[in-house]
Amino acid sequence: MLLSVRDLTVTYVTQASAVPAVRGVSFDLESGASLGIAGESGCGKSTMGAAMLRLLPSSAHVSGEVILNREDVYAMPFSRLRAVRWAGISIVMQGALHSLNPVRTIGWQIAEAIELHNHDLRDHAVRSRVGELLEMVSLPAKCAKDFPHQLSGGQRQRVLIAMALACNPQLLIADEPTTALDVMVQAQIIELLQDLRSRLNLAMIFITHDLSLLSTVCDRIAIMYAGRIVEEGPSGSLLSGPAHPYAAALAAAFPTIGDHSSRMTPSGLGGDPPDPTDLGNGCPFAPRCPRVEELCLGYDVPLIDIGDQRKAACIHVEPSRVAL
Amino acid sequence: MKNSTLSVEDLKVQFSRRREVARAVDGVNLDIAAGEVVALVGESGCGKTTLARTMMGLEMPKSGEVRFNGSPLGRRAMREYRRKVQMVFQDPSGALNPRDTIYEAVAEGLRVHKVAGDEVAQVAAALSKCGLRPPERFFNRYPHEVSGGQRQRVVIAAAMVLEPQMLIADEPVASLDASVRGEILKLLRDLVDQHGLGMLVITHDLGLAWNIADRIAVMYLGRIVEIGSCEEILEHPKHPYTQALLSVVPESKRMEQQILTGETPDPLHIPKGCRFHPRCPLMQNGEADRLGIADRCRGADIGLRDVGQGTRVACHAI
Repeated sequence: MLLSVRDLTVTYVTQASAVPAVRGVSFDLESGASLGIAGESGCGKSTMGAAMLRLLPSSAHVSGEVILNREDVYAMPFSRLRAVRWAGISIVMQGALHSLNPVRTIGWQIAEAIELHNHDLRDHAVRSRVGELLEMVSLPAKCAKDFPHQLSGGQRQRVLIAMALACNPQLLIADEPTTALDVMVQAQIIELLQDLRSRLNLAMIFITHDLSLLSTVCDRIAIMYAGRIVEEGPSGSLLSGPAHPYAAALAAAFPTIGDHSSRMTPSGLGGDPPDPTDLGNGCPFAPRCPRVEELCLGYDVPLIDIGDQRKAACIHVEPSRVAL
Repeated sequence: MKNSTLSVEDLKVQFSRRREVARAVDGVNLDIAAGEVVALVGESGCGKTTLARTMMGLEMPKSGEVRFNGSPLGRRAMREYRRKVQMVFQDPSGALNPRDTIYEAVAEGLRVHKVAGDEVAQVAAALSKCGLRPPERFFNRYPHEVSGGQRQRVVIAAAMVLEPQMLIADEPVASLDASVRGEILKLLRDLVDQHGLGMLVITHDLGLAWNIADRIAVMYLGRIVEIGSCEEILEHPKHPYTQALLSVVPESKRMEQQILTGETPDPLHIPKGCRFHPRCPLMQNGEADRLGIADRCRGADIGLRDVGQGTRVACHAI
């Protein structure tokens, strides 16, 4: 197993309050596999991504385990953690278009990551590695001399991917990597990520709010709501027959073009996203759930194994009913 | 034209910078009738927002005109026009003044237009029309105190309070969460159906168009390259650009992906001939040569032509 996350909990503590962002998330990822994490804003998906690499600010209190290659990321000394960042796990951040340094060339910025991990590499070796990485993401090697503003949005996103690959990581976490991009450029980036994944045997965690995108990219999907995974399973069967009512609502929000049952009937979910400081005892989705029962209000359901490598956290889920 | 309310005729909008001219909107004809939703789709930089801004009277056209109920848009009619044609903006957090209560935000339009009558009743009616019930509960709240979906409802209520005949919505749900989006789209569709409004929705999201639009216009580099009924365009796209766009949308039924190479095209340098030809899959796979149209694609500009089923397409191959 490449990565095991066990009961990961993150709480942002301020003087006035404690806001739980991630509430006991567990999952496994094998090397070369890809997991998509979907959910609406505030569900804790980005916090969870950053927590994998201990990138959260000190106001975030973390418990649980993130085990990479049998080593707990949270038990490591800082020197070891530094080696794991970039080389074990690397992350392509959300809002990536602003995360390049505007006054340094692309080549300089990629070289920085390489040199940090290989102190004794000679200049020309670093330069040729930079060129190699740029070509890997289908950019001409001469882009190394360019500054970020000389590149388009799609090209900058490619640079960030090249940078993330600089130290041959085993796992790439991509947090909304295509959100600010146009549909056509988005398709180009997705194609690139797919291609890199199979060529480099890279494991990938893909965080997004766009559930429809995940079906083309990921083997498995986890749906998060209010800091928890509420459903997890293989992408095909999860999207075609979601078991949790929230997963079903989310899937229905992305219509299939050509499917006449969704024509002229936009599907949405009433109510508001949950307030993380006031979740109560019951299922956090209960206030918006179309299938809510009295039992839901007092009992917070854990993830239940429902067969077919699927799990869901809902009292309506019985193994027999989902085993279709 | 059946009693169309808002139309643009051969509209051109240009922006000049030093010696260069960006032809953002380059000859567009479009009409939106009462009671229908038209979706204008295209990549960023294709001119769709400029077209909408010009329709609102926020940009001056280089040539061509915007007509509302038959009469051209001019300075004198502008005040009346700005009441009848309302805009719904993309980002509700940016469109609302954080220091104004929801009541103030909705009542502002009434005051600007000096609308007579009971202000409180009109604001309350607009809010409840947009699903914020009971409206009194929202009067004294500030934008940050309500959810994103509710904020967008406030923006729509601020447009609806003036009882417009036409709504122009620029990416009305792009900044909202997936689960909330459907509710807002439902509201927009209901407003059109119940109040006989016409609506232009600008979006890059073809799934959204499938959800609420009657007709679709696909825009590429300042021109409409394909226009027709929503079903016809999304199920049987004719223009190679529409086909490519549709093939990369995850919501579309699996068809072979045609990922266009290169970046979004540049309105400063619109190619000669068919403006899509440098990226056109038909040119790249030799299909255009086989049909004997490659020279025309490179050299002859082409306008929209009727291809039956109410669809019009600008392509030499058809």
